[in-house]
Amino acid sequence: MTTLQTQIPDQLLQQAQYLVQQGWVANIDELIAESMRRYLESHREAMTEQFIREDVEWGLHGQD
Amino acid sequence: MGKTEPVVIADAGPVIHLDELGCIELLADFGTVIIPETVWQEVERHRPMALKSANDWLVRQSPKQHSVVVSALTPLYSLHAGEQEALHLCSEFGNCLLLTDDTAARLAAKSLGIAAHGTLGLLIRAIRRQCLSKAEVLALLHAIPNQTTLHVRPTLLREVILEVEKHAE
Repeated sequence: MTTLQTQIPDQLLQQAQYLVQQGWVANIDELIAESMRRYLESHREAMTEQFIREDVEWGLHGQD
Repeated sequence: MGKTEPVVIADAGPVIHLDELGCIELLADFGTVIIPETVWQEVERHRPMALKSANDWLVRQSPKQHSVVVSALTPLYSLHAGEQEALHLCSEFGNCLLLTDDTAARLAAKSLGIAAHGTLGLLIRAIRRQCLSKAEVLALLHAIPNQTTLHVRPTLLREVILEVEKHAE
């Protein structure tokens, strides 16, 4: 596993802690990993398109 | 035609899609392209002839060691075995260019600071590298929906084609 150091708003952390206390997730680490997983899933199409645009830029103007 | 420098490692997507378009030789412009063992097997299953036509410039290789960071990212991005091997090899070599059409693999590569590009980039690069003419590349871009298993939203593909059309050769 990798350790991440990040800053999040206090209110967001409180909400996350509440979810942990209520037993929705085992701990904050799990909640953050699950949040990232869901974010990546929901934004995958947009990211795919962004990568294609980056490909066009690289293809036309890249150095390698 | 000059050769470029970074170690180039390919996932299955670009190898399969370039072969579907009949232009896998574009990869030879990199000098050598490393294909992770698992990816090699995947390509052999889907496009058995793809790797037979390419001889000395495709190198079949397994990572010597596994990167802890890649292993940590694997469940987060749901990386498949071939993508994992490709990223392990990238970590092993350092200055790498990863060729992949997989969004998860590209996201993982980005978080590891590894440059990554896909089939469309390779096709368009062929104009810049003077491997193919603009007209030839445009014909290949138009052929993508019917001739390949690469899925690109039609309106986005049209945008890409327009961008290439307006670019001076």
